[in-house]
Amino acid sequence: MNLLSSILYDTVYHSVPLILAVLGGLFAHKANVLNIGLEGMMLMGAYSTTLFVYITGNLWLSVLLGVLVTLALGFVFAFFGVTMKSNVIITGLGINLFAQAFSAFMLKYMQLANINVSNIVNVSELKINIPVIEDIPVIGPLLSGHTPISYITLILIIVVNIVMFKTRFGVYVRVVGENEEAAKSVGINTTLIKYVAILIGALLCALAGANLATERMALFTNNMTAGRGFIAIAAIYCGNAMPLKSTLYAIIFGLARSLAINLGLFAGPVSGLFEMVPYIMIVVVLSVVSAVETSHRRVRGFTNG
Amino acid sequence: MNAVLGVLAPVIMTFLIGAIIIVAIGEDPLTTYSVMIKKSLFDFNGLMKTLHFASPLILTGLAIAVTFKANIFNMGVEGAAVLGAFFATVVGFSLQGVPHVLHVVLCLLTGVVTGILFALPPALLKAYFRVDEMVVTLMLNYVVVEITKYLATGVFKDPASGYVSTYAILDSAMFHKIFGTDITPFFFVAVAVFAVMWVVFKKSKLGYEITAIGLNPEFSEAAGMRVQKKIIILMVISGAISGLAGAGFLMSEKYRFTLDFSGSPGLGWDGMLISLLGGHDPVGIIIAAIFYAALKTGSEYIGLFTNVPKEIVSVIQSILILFLSVKFLNGRFRLSERIRGFIKSRSRSQAVAGEVKGDLQ
Repeated sequence: MNLLSSILYDTVYHSVPLILAVLGGLFAHKANVLNIGLEGMMLMGAYSTTLFVYITGNLWLSVLLGVLVTLALGFVFAFFGVTMKSNVIITGLGINLFAQAFSAFMLKYMQLANINVSNIVNVSELKINIPVIEDIPVIGPLLSGHTPISYITLILIIVVNIVMFKTRFGVYVRVVGENEEAAKSVGINTTLIKYVAILIGALLCALAGANLATERMALFTNNMTAGRGFIAIAAIYCGNAMPLKSTLYAIIFGLARSLAINLGLFAGPVSGLFEMVPYIMIVVVLSVVSAVETSHRRVRGFTNG
Repeated sequence: MNAVLGVLAPVIMTFLIGAIIIVAIGEDPLTTYSVMIKKSLFDFNGLMKTLHFASPLILTGLAIAVTFKANIFNMGVEGAAVLGAFFATVVGFSLQGVPHVLHVVLCLLTGVVTGILFALPPALLKAYFRVDEMVVTLMLNYVVVEITKYLATGVFKDPASGYVSTYAILDSAMFHKIFGTDITPFFFVAVAVFAVMWVVFKKSKLGYEITAIGLNPEFSEAAGMRVQKKIIILMVISGAISGLAGAGFLMSEKYRFTLDFSGSPGLGWDGMLISLLGGHDPVGIIIAAIFYAALKTGSEYIGLFTNVPKEIVSVIQSILILFLSVKFLNGRFRLSERIRGFIKSRSRSQAVAGEVKGDLQ
């Protein structure tokens, strides 16, 4: 592969888990529940899916089980955040630390440095090469040779956009986020809506984790999500929680990582520093977006809203 | 009384869940917990070790509290501590022939300045452009990981060391152990900072403003506080204390910078738990820090007496954070009132039931 096509391919490769987390996080964000726990849910998805592959030897059954475990974690978050009315930011951080600590604890208990399932899952067989299209330059690496979950993601972008703007559920989510009291007064079960919004996030984060660990590397290592959940939150912020706009930001961050990795190959000894480019870029993009918003503000002094 | 119960209830529930996990892997939770507590609190050397490990945690706890209490979610405490430790190491091994006290002070100052510089960008962005400080500080933490990894594997790597590590700091830059115990002068530095912060929180105008901004920034602004400026001041204080924590921990315990310097889950994250446990209050923080350091010291001994991996402590910590995110007895979830209400309604319904019975007879 030449440089351009490998950059394009890697952009898709690195964007997929981000897009999934973004799409999942959107609903909770629109319902006014700040879900910081995306990172932990993604890690739990990655860990449990890989662990179940290790135990059962069946990839798609494991993805299902991994989704169920992550949904349970999402339920814990929803229970604390919605029913118990906790400080959701701190609950979310607790979820993140729990996923990280629990997977590290279990790895230590099983006396493994990482969970390697490459003898069960053949990564290269999972890639779907589309005939004819795979040979077209530029479009080929973008559309062909990706994993099943990547293609599901592509469909989900459209599905989420429809659900958010064309269905009753989407309207309810947005109403709950805009004005919870008003939503209650017209008989919307706000607690239920919030639960569902959070659980959709857990579901998609589980898929993101399965994609990240099992499907493309057949490997789980400690803390392998490396901040992707927070990058997704930044993308949601920047994109104003609009599905297409936020997805676009997720792709920009995927592109940043892809560029960092591919150009890092030519950088020799300083290539290690390229690793931090995506993180810095998020700070810069978020700052620019916020600065533009602030410039429209007419109130003097500090406001939070 | 309510405040004490509000802290104890989550702690007890957490230990119960921890016990279930320990039972699930086929070990004895009582032995595990008793080893942890006996070795860390009821043994002189163990206690000194606990106080030694509590020193950086008191500082990171205070660093978190000063921002969290004002509802500024500064997650950069971890990054500031690591970066502060790193540059303190550089000063620690590169300056030669400096008198002991001066060298120690210089290293600590390096940590403080690094921490401040690290906290400034998110503070300015938050104050002037309303950029979400949580995302920014979290992202900068990853940047710190990459920068220190790059520098520690490159320019500052000690070739004599088998793994990635910088040179060890010189003897003149170390905090030495006192009377053969584990405690070092750094503990007293931490206590001094605690004293200063106690005055700030309880007696100063700034302490009042922290509470006010935490409760309602718009109102505080309207009441004449300059919230933008205050955010920057609080972030700078937080960064300074975090940098000091990292530098001090390095100079009293690690002596050289390695990639796992901050441990898992890291000084900053420990500090967050401690600050939450202590209710963002200095006295609460010092108690919580000692409690948590006892867990950490005790966890070192778990492996000697049981087969439970010491990572159980981070699991316990994360569950504790989950429980602490709910305000148990005060705030919105009024457990004590609910229990009281429940008992009242029970006794009332019993009384009603009694009356009904009486009527029937």
